[in-house]
Amino acid sequence: MPRRSDIKTILLIGSGPIVIGQACEFDYSGTQAVKALKEEGYKVILVNSNPATIMTDPELADATYIEPITPYFIEKIIQKEQPDAILPTMGGQTALNTAIALNESGVLNKYGIELIGAKVDSIRKAESRELFNNSMNKIGLETAKGQFVNTYKEAQDFIDQIGFPVIIRPSFTLGGTGGGIAYNYEEFENFVNRGLTTSPVNQVLIEESLIGWKEFELEVMRDSNDNFVVICSIENFDPMGVHTGDSITVAPAQTLSDKQYQKLRDAAKKVISEIGVETGGSNIQFAVNPVTGRIIVIEMNPRVSRSSALASKATGFPIAKIAAKLAVGYTLDEIPNDITKTTPSCFEPVIDYVVVKIPRWDFNKFRSPNPESDVLGVQMKSVGEVMSFGRNFKEAFQKAIRSLEIGRSGLGADGKDLYTTGQLLNIKGKDKDELIDKIITKLQTPRNDNIFYLRYALLLGVSIEQLYTSTQIDPWFLNQIREIVEMEKELTEYML
Amino acid sequence: MKNLTPEILLKAKRLGFSDKQIAHILNTTEQRVRSFRRKHIIYPVFKTVDTCAAEFEASTPYHYSTYEKFNEIESSDKPKVIILGGGPNRIGQGIEFDYCCVRCVKALREEGFETIMVNCNPETVSTDYDTTDKLYFEPLTAEDVLNILKYEKNVKGVIVSFGGQTPLKISKELEKNGLKILGTSSANIDVAEDRKKFGKLLDNLGIPKPEYGTVKSLKSALKIARRIGYPVLVRPSYVLGGRAMQIVYNDETLKEFFIEASQYSEKHPVLIDKFLEEAREIDVDAVCDGKDVYIGGIMQHIEEAGIHSGDSTSILPPVSLTSGNLRRIKSYTKKIALGLKVIGLINIQFAIKDNVVYVIEANPRASRTVPFVSKTTGIPLATIAAKVIAGKKLKIFKLKEFDKLTYIGIKESVFPFQKFPRAKMFLGPEMRSTGEVMGVAKTFGAAMAKAQESTGNPLPVTGNVFISLNNNDKKQKALEIISKFEKLGFGIVATRGTSKWLLENNIFNEPVYKVNEGRPNVVDLIKNKEINFVINTPLGEESRFDEYAIGWAAVQYKIPFITTLSAASSAVEGIARIKSGDLSVRSLQEYYKMY
Repeated sequence: MPRRSDIKTILLIGSGPIVIGQACEFDYSGTQAVKALKEEGYKVILVNSNPATIMTDPELADATYIEPITPYFIEKIIQKEQPDAILPTMGGQTALNTAIALNESGVLNKYGIELIGAKVDSIRKAESRELFNNSMNKIGLETAKGQFVNTYKEAQDFIDQIGFPVIIRPSFTLGGTGGGIAYNYEEFENFVNRGLTTSPVNQVLIEESLIGWKEFELEVMRDSNDNFVVICSIENFDPMGVHTGDSITVAPAQTLSDKQYQKLRDAAKKVISEIGVETGGSNIQFAVNPVTGRIIVIEMNPRVSRSSALASKATGFPIAKIAAKLAVGYTLDEIPNDITKTTPSCFEPVIDYVVVKIPRWDFNKFRSPNPESDVLGVQMKSVGEVMSFGRNFKEAFQKAIRSLEIGRSGLGADGKDLYTTGQLLNIKGKDKDELIDKIITKLQTPRNDNIFYLRYALLLGVSIEQLYTSTQIDPWFLNQIREIVEMEKELTEYML
Repeated sequence: MKNLTPEILLKAKRLGFSDKQIAHILNTTEQRVRSFRRKHIIYPVFKTVDTCAAEFEASTPYHYSTYEKFNEIESSDKPKVIILGGGPNRIGQGIEFDYCCVRCVKALREEGFETIMVNCNPETVSTDYDTTDKLYFEPLTAEDVLNILKYEKNVKGVIVSFGGQTPLKISKELEKNGLKILGTSSANIDVAEDRKKFGKLLDNLGIPKPEYGTVKSLKSALKIARRIGYPVLVRPSYVLGGRAMQIVYNDETLKEFFIEASQYSEKHPVLIDKFLEEAREIDVDAVCDGKDVYIGGIMQHIEEAGIHSGDSTSILPPVSLTSGNLRRIKSYTKKIALGLKVIGLINIQFAIKDNVVYVIEANPRASRTVPFVSKTTGIPLATIAAKVIAGKKLKIFKLKEFDKLTYIGIKESVFPFQKFPRAKMFLGPEMRSTGEVMGVAKTFGAAMAKAQESTGNPLPVTGNVFISLNNNDKKQKALEIISKFEKLGFGIVATRGTSKWLLENNIFNEPVYKVNEGRPNVVDLIKNKEINFVINTPLGEESRFDEYAIGWAAVQYKIPFITTLSAASSAVEGIARIKSGDLSVRSLQEYYKMY
């Protein structure tokens, strides 16, 4: 289909201030979308409260509003600018929530405005756990067992049915704010009560814990002709239990067999079709049991996301730009791929390298008396991220570490280690056992500096099996790290 | 021990080892590893990110390095400039620098340069292959940047002043290896960053600055602190975002600081400044071409000096500066910019105490406030600075002056306290905000109300205000603010000490227990949603259980929580505006036509 001519003016909603869980990836997607829509001849109205963004540069949109992203102010902008459509899928959860609120209060109806990029029904189906679970059951896909509760009493009843550990996720909060994993009643009560308070609707989801499962994401796009492409597969280095935003991630997925990958791909196609995203991109997260191979659909974001920014940079495929074009009526086969200029966007990207993303944390800014405050879990805590390319995981991994600007030049062996290589290689007897114990204990809890402890453990001669048992990090990744450590050991025999 | 062979080095490089790591393992220097590589011609090649594993011809130059054989880079004969990006977002270095880099790239393209962007942050616009002529997705280390030079011809230089602290950190090493730094010279950057040299420059220019000292040991720190008198501001040199910076009131705390600071700063000494308590803080962004200086904006902070400028609320144009001080700030800015021979951007922080204007620091590079100033005034400072670096003169731009603005822009910070239970919530010299929002309107109150609304913690229009003031704050100014709340129909709830003082001054209020005094206490009221606004001014450096408890309850229940009188005063003006219904929307394009 050619571009829609019934729409003249489009309002694009940005994501507001940079907060943990919603960073400048939405400036990237929004900027691309504004450019793409302008290129197609639409009048673009933009609203974002964040002045540090490139998208709010006055040259970019036709009218740029630095105003609060709330239904009240957006209605005022609508009154003034009379847009025909709103594109809410570029500004993260903030934009999506605001658009839904405008729909519910009847504002969209009143001014005859259409939501493009994602329909209200699709957004609801993807965002509401209940509707999402029902949709997944309908197409024969499994979701984690879980239940929404509004009181602690309901929570208690449910935990008695399914047992520990469980994940507690407050509804409608960003980056999982207020959530946690509970292994006992005390933690359970804490998290449930905190979650009930943080959730704007005073509701939390209690969910079967998939801790230790492998986690994958697929970045997919779909058009109104039901064309479907996978832009990129992403694998989490850290097992389930650590928020994707806090996890080291790798693209393409490294430890899936082709058969398993095809299964996920088929599942992703079913998910996006069932949820009904017809004109844009989505991010779909899966958990895969490392032993049984059982697949669980964790969630789906019917919009561009942090992961889609990553997938765009990892593949060169401009997801936000293409999503904007799909939103105004084009189909994937009609949009040329920018990079090759000759292939259309319905060609799935193929990559012949490895990309590694590592989050950047700033815990030392928030020194807290709580010793658990720097533990990585279901609530995202990182403030930024880096990405790097290599022809193998090891190269990309070490480049990413030195990109982080945490004073490290790679995976250790840079003079910043807690224990020197010589110390670790030469330690003997009881001292060695004690050190191994200490390091293994440390590794059992996910923390931001654990990768350096994996190296210590390997230098101490700890086996991959034991590390796997303690961390649930896939042995394939552990072996990669071992190869780095082996190289370091080999180098110690040389001089210059 | 065996002698290093090219084969084994190449093998390590293929596994991602940096020259620094290899040098450390071989117990030698990075420079020697690099020389060995040069001698044996061990360089990475660059590959193209082309979406199709090289199956089709790719026309977009988006590259990464790897130690393999076939290089895919072609370099044209056009003059080129390398722009170094800001690296990963973190507290103190965020999206602002991405904005500046993108503007810089665009400006240099307009000036006829081929632009080469180097950055490693996937969230940014600067790493969109559409933004620059060439994109290298690489770590921002000297080794990785120098590798690019191996393949790029006719590189005129590198720009390190738009990407925050990240590129500055490696600029000396790049220069040593023959890469020209464009813009302000590194010798002059050094003058700005070196306390002694900068102090001397200010003395020569006749500009006041707080007393200071630079020390390497606790002993000399104690000596200097006693000489200039407490309170003092201490921090390690070469930091961004006020890392490990602290206001110190006595010997004891100074000792503690030294123990902690040693882990951040190995080579760099510690700076000690006289802390100007309750001074007014001012931020200036300007562009200099070596001859003329254009002042992009003078921002007044709502919070007093001592709170990191990245965390404070900034107002443009300033609302309560005397014309004399405004003139002085402009004149100092010009003198300093010319004195440092700045080519490009400079940010200067001032503090005003007892009607004396002091210079706190000057940074000859893009600052975090450049986008805010540019969005408010419509003058793209980063673009102009980049063009000045490329050789244009300021005169040709015919820029409007920010003093003529007929509206007000307010930048407000956004904090992640909700993610860090029980972390200290009172603002100080260490920056902790993750982002910012802006409110723009014709009046101060309306701009304030909008800015607050955008932070996600809107100002309340009804309900109760909880007030707990330290003794220093129990003054006329506080009474004025509180009676304004009263007139707007708010109930006043106060801790017993504050309550008594308010009653003595004829402000009716309801006393409430502090957390450790009994129940129901203020936290109970917050949890029962009986408090809609919290004003709690902390007691010096003493951190108390009560303050944590109140602050954390407010954060959890999303109640605006204010820790300074000045912020309370702004808030009450904002509330008055909301109540009068005067919050209209206007696009930036409309605002720019208004002045």
